[in-house]
Amino acid sequence: MRLLTTREAVPLLLVAAIAAVLPLLGSDYYLGVGFILFGWIALAQSWTVVSGLAGYISLGHVVFAGIGGYVLVLTWGAVPVWAGALLGALAAGLFALLVGLPVLRVRGPYFVILTFGLAEFAKYVVINIENALGRFGRLILGGPPLETLYWAMAALALAGTLAVVAIRRLRLGAGLVAIREDELAADTIGVPTVRFKLFAFALSALLPGFVGALFVLRTGYFEPAQAFDPVISFTIVTMAIVGGSADARGPVFGALFLVALSELLWSNFPQVYMIVLGALLVGFVLFAPNGVAGLFERRRAAAAAPAGG
Amino acid sequence: MRKFVGALAISALAAAAWASPAAAAEVKIGYSIAKTGLFAPAAPSQINAYNLWAEQVNARGGLDIGGKERRKVTLIQYDDQSNPGNAVKIYEKLITQDKVDLLLSPWGTPHHFAIASVLERHKFPMIGSTASSVQLRNMKPGNIWFTTAAVADKLATAMVGLLQSAGVKSVAVLTNQLPFGQENKKFLMPALKAAGIKVLVDADYPPNIKDMTAILVKVKAANPDGVIGLAYPGDSILYINKAREVGIAAKFQYLLVGPAIGFFRGMFKGAADGIVTLGHWSPHGDNARSKAFYAAYKKKFKQEPDYLDSVEAWVSVEILEQAVAKAGLDKDKLRQAISTGTFDTIIGKVRFDGVQNAVTPTGFLQIQKGELHVVWPKDRQTAPLAPKTGWK
Repeated sequence: MRLLTTREAVPLLLVAAIAAVLPLLGSDYYLGVGFILFGWIALAQSWTVVSGLAGYISLGHVVFAGIGGYVLVLTWGAVPVWAGALLGALAAGLFALLVGLPVLRVRGPYFVILTFGLAEFAKYVVINIENALGRFGRLILGGPPLETLYWAMAALALAGTLAVVAIRRLRLGAGLVAIREDELAADTIGVPTVRFKLFAFALSALLPGFVGALFVLRTGYFEPAQAFDPVISFTIVTMAIVGGSADARGPVFGALFLVALSELLWSNFPQVYMIVLGALLVGFVLFAPNGVAGLFERRRAAAAAPAGG
Repeated sequence: MRKFVGALAISALAAAAWASPAAAAEVKIGYSIAKTGLFAPAAPSQINAYNLWAEQVNARGGLDIGGKERRKVTLIQYDDQSNPGNAVKIYEKLITQDKVDLLLSPWGTPHHFAIASVLERHKFPMIGSTASSVQLRNMKPGNIWFTTAAVADKLATAMVGLLQSAGVKSVAVLTNQLPFGQENKKFLMPALKAAGIKVLVDADYPPNIKDMTAILVKVKAANPDGVIGLAYPGDSILYINKAREVGIAAKFQYLLVGPAIGFFRGMFKGAADGIVTLGHWSPHGDNARSKAFYAAYKKKFKQEPDYLDSVEAWVSVEILEQAVAKAGLDKDKLRQAISTGTFDTIIGKVRFDGVQNAVTPTGFLQIQKGELHVVWPKDRQTAPLAPKTGWK
């Protein structure tokens, strides 16, 4: 077995190269864009573990980021920043373990709706807790500098990409793909489906917990409706679809594409951005269901095919 | 005549273009505002005030920079879609990419609150306007100030004074779950209790509420002397519609934010008469700046300014202009000038103690015969408080 195949090396090198180049541009603005880009890559890679590999489409992945962010603000000042972020990630993973067992019993559209509902439920629980505590949004003054956050987020993006590459090579990955193709058959031939699904779900929650904590440190502001904003979940799914989701390339392509698009459009034409996003989503689903990664694949296959064949 | 004015404008433009290579670059001033979404009804009040100011400054020959030179101003505006998270991104972008010289404030407490840490990180002073937060005040940030006298703890005391003067013994408290409403409630409830005013209905509702009937039916059944609606513009409109329909007969009816906006009175005509709201400015006083502002606003926009939001936005630019005239564009000097100076504004002298306006007393306005009057505090009254008598 080669150390890394092309489809494994491309996303890893791409993330590393972007991480190395952006700081050379010498502007906080580009570091900020890079920070967001790596955040999305980490989120989309995490989502791929459970939704791309195992085919359980989660429409509520923001809940893990929200939990991570909430734990960070709750522990702010009580523990060091890195410990707060780590606790946020662990809390998100623990939450996934707890709700995973009942939630992963349902499949298909029911799972999609359930994850969405769960995220909204968590959002309103936190809103009510905060109101009861008399806290109407929380501020973090004096968080770590942007460069620190940038490198931390780049590391998370790389970790997420590496995780998807590694999982695909492991029995776990093969098992998850088997679950996606036919869960009953997978169960019959001895894939520990419950254990694999639960493990994948918890794993796919850890990084988002971390990302959510870093998001809060970056904006210096936590407010539940923001931290649990369902649009974050939708964006993750859009990135996966645009990128093509079955391996580590998809999330990187998808995030790159959408972040570039959003930087070009959102500040000056926020409404146009949403229209373009919607049109893209429809376009990709109809004409390029395997996303940007699929388009590359098709061109390569066409080039390799014998003439007339 | 019109042709002549047009020709004059064109030649003025040509002259400006001719002169511009020699003149210094324009002062870039950025802000974001809710042009779309939940808070969009409130935004024009503030945008108008900013535009009017920029126009007047440029007509005066530009912004006085530290008494050394005058430079024209140009406003850079983004739509934050009523999303505080977007405001954070936009202010970050204004500072790091657009490299603006000065910042104006967005609309509303959630947005001011959200961008406070961006301002701190970049040590970029910004004078707030349509917002206040006790929570933020307690954190003692150094780069944001609130022009308003409407701070939740001071408001609670003033409200109890107003209620007692009106002989209100029982109230219903209806609260929007947004921070400003919630913070008001937090200070109001204990103040009501201490004053012996009974709370017969206590209901919270989500910011994007679509129907208030259930809550208002409860209020009608309880029949309190007063209704205190800690509302934002959207739900203030909803309240008037539904309270009229249900027939709320309380003699004192208060809506926190909304009734001061110009279109509100036009929208409801006589039905809005008697509604009390937040505000401490009226054009009826004898402040010359105030009269000039009122006349210029009305002339340009063919409507009255919003007695709350246009006024706060205007006060914020008045202060900014005076601080820049004194300190120039250097951030440290500007911060120093704002936090230590005393400024002439349309609400009188303003000086800051920490983030808070230390001078202007907290007040309330009431709609009377389609006009807004200051009814509290008593020594600033332009008309005495009148009971609300039906919905006409």
